[in-house]
Amino acid sequence: MRGGGPLAKGMAVLAAAALACAPAAAQPSDMAVKAAFLTKFPAYVSWPRPPAGGALNLCLIGTDPFGGLIDAAARGQQVDGRPIAVRRLPGTDGADACHIAFVQGPSDARTAQMLQALRGKPVLTVTDSRGGAARGMIFFVVDGGRVRFHIDQAAAQQSGLGLSSRLLAIALSVRTAR
Amino acid sequence: MRPLTRLAGRWPNMPIAGALLALLLLLAGVGVIVVSARNNVALKRQETQVQAQILAASVTAALDFGDVATARQSVEALGVNRQVVAAGVYDKQGNLFAGYSRGSGLLPPRFGAPARRGANMLEASAAVERGGTRIGSVYLRVQREPVSRRLARFSLIGLLAVMAALVALVLGIAHGALRRANRELEERAEALGRAYAELQVQVEERARAEEELRQAQKMQALGQLTGGIAHDFNNLLTVIQGSADILRRPGLDEAKRLRFAEAIVKTAGRAAALTGQLLTFARRQPLKPRSIDLNAQIEGMADLLDRTIGERVAVRTDLAPGLCRIEVDPAQLEAAILNICVNARDAMPDGGTLTIATSDAELADGRRAVALAVTDSGSGIEPEVLARVFEPFFTTKSVGKGTGLGLSQVYGFAAQSGGETKVASEPGAGTTVTLLLPCNANSAPDEPAATPEATRDGRSGHILVVDDNDEVGVLAEALCAELGYRVSRVRSGPEALAAAGSTRFDAVFTDVVMPGMTGLELADALRELTPGLPIILATGFSDEIARQGTGGLPVVYKPYRLETLAEALDAAMGTTETGKAAPSPGT
Repeated sequence: MRGGGPLAKGMAVLAAAALACAPAAAQPSDMAVKAAFLTKFPAYVSWPRPPAGGALNLCLIGTDPFGGLIDAAARGQQVDGRPIAVRRLPGTDGADACHIAFVQGPSDARTAQMLQALRGKPVLTVTDSRGGAARGMIFFVVDGGRVRFHIDQAAAQQSGLGLSSRLLAIALSVRTAR
Repeated sequence: MRPLTRLAGRWPNMPIAGALLALLLLLAGVGVIVVSARNNVALKRQETQVQAQILAASVTAALDFGDVATARQSVEALGVNRQVVAAGVYDKQGNLFAGYSRGSGLLPPRFGAPARRGANMLEASAAVERGGTRIGSVYLRVQREPVSRRLARFSLIGLLAVMAALVALVLGIAHGALRRANRELEERAEALGRAYAELQVQVEERARAEEELRQAQKMQALGQLTGGIAHDFNNLLTVIQGSADILRRPGLDEAKRLRFAEAIVKTAGRAAALTGQLLTFARRQPLKPRSIDLNAQIEGMADLLDRTIGERVAVRTDLAPGLCRIEVDPAQLEAAILNICVNARDAMPDGGTLTIATSDAELADGRRAVALAVTDSGSGIEPEVLARVFEPFFTTKSVGKGTGLGLSQVYGFAAQSGGETKVASEPGAGTTVTLLLPCNANSAPDEPAATPEATRDGRSGHILVVDDNDEVGVLAEALCAELGYRVSRVRSGPEALAAAGSTRFDAVFTDVVMPGMTGLELADALRELTPGLPIILATGFSDEIARQGTGGLPVVYKPYRLETLAEALDAAMGTTETGKAAPSPGT
């Protein structure tokens, strides 16, 4: 069923295009999709202390691979009526205000280091890298030409975050605590 | 009955009401089914809506993140339910994102576009929202249950409604039948009432007819009686009148005169006996019982019987000797024997033997008695006639031949004398009539009645004769004068009182039955006026005397003979004479 008929495939492409479709983004790309995903994840996450008032902070820690894509994606999104504010942070300092953080260092080691710094904090970490300690609670993969993601639910739970079963349902895999 | 009728009258159209009720129940059943079906549809719609919402919720993330495979998984999961014919997930722009369909054309290609119509389809759609933002829609199309299954579901309710309707109908019909039955019953009661009224009328008519019949029988009996009496009386009167006519002729020699006078006396005696019979049957004849010897009485009647019975019948007597004496009225006894013998004679028109027998006997209560049995060798009596022979006026003889009083007199005489009467008869073998008469207790022979000395001389005194009938009054006056008394005569009680007030009489001889003041009333008044005045009553028959008696006054029964009158006057005045021996302040 997965990757069913040609029709379904076409539709999937179409849907992906539509989802990624930000007013400014004419060409959907993997990065645009990932940017869109990042802005959508907060809807499926619950924080131990619900963010009080103001915007929901989406932090890009380390390097920023999205550029304007993320801003464009965040512009139209709201989570429970709250706008998403994109913050770019060079390191984990000041990451306490983040609700969700895309962490990408120059190397996997550096990424792991930053993740380690965020461990235990109620920040949903997302990475592109998927090796060992350098992967976040959610990490992207491209599967069959499509952007998908894995979820480490155990890590999220350690940080006191709850992930919606709906989100878990569409993840490629979910790592759960034993 | 009445309340039921009222009830039936109040609801005269109960079967129609029952039908209406049945219809109502059916309608209620249909209503319940319709409402239930509608509820069911609403429920189904709601259920479908909920299913759509669930689908919308479950595909939110898939749609959000463009995961067609997961979305299709969710959609196809619905397909497990056979009733879901189509399900689709549409994106924000209304384009189909993932879909499932059991047939072509069932799923609209775009959200909001019309899909192929289908019977029994339910549609539902729901928005797919993420964090309060609509990100797409789901569409769900559900096939409802087939009609047959829905009907099956409602069949129980339908069955109940039909049953209830049937019950109502049956009740209505039953009520109608009851009402009809009531009406019939009422009609029958009315018919019964009419029949009863008719019966009443018939009973009345019957009673009237019976009364008329009784009257007719009475008249017939009266006719027979008067016929018989007239016949007998005419015979007797012929003798008396003829004899009197001869006596009136001048130059009659003494022997002839005596013979005809004797004939008159005898015939008048028989006439008196006839009226005596009439009174005996009515048991109003005062008896004058004497102690007599039955055998001697029968022997004394031999001549009379021979003459009465005629030559064709032989009379035999079979008298047992040494019988006790009996105390009866000899005249009545004679009449009874004569009556029996006359009947016996009439039962033997071609001749035969008549036996008169006497014997010792015993009454039903054990008293000693003598039996007098008269047996004939005649035709006998039929049993149904035998039962009635003692009834007054009952006779088998033609009008003028008998009064129907003969055996009735026998019966009355025996009963009044303390005895019994029996009749035994076999048709063709003859009849025996038996009289049982009780023995006289003292059994001493009675003094032979002293012959009144009618011709005794030396009578004197003044007698007042009171009688409203001139002939009788003149005769009484003549008889008293013949006895040697001075006589005054008046015609009524008041006249007698007036006479007694002015003249002193030695005795008053008064009739009882008189208009105005009766002899009894006169006697009372006279005794008040003149205490101790001898008063003698004379009567042919008086109801009043029969009822109350005479109050101690002597009575002479009409027709009376000179001797009778002399005896009564002697007795009355004799006692007064002893009374007059005492000094009287009046004199």
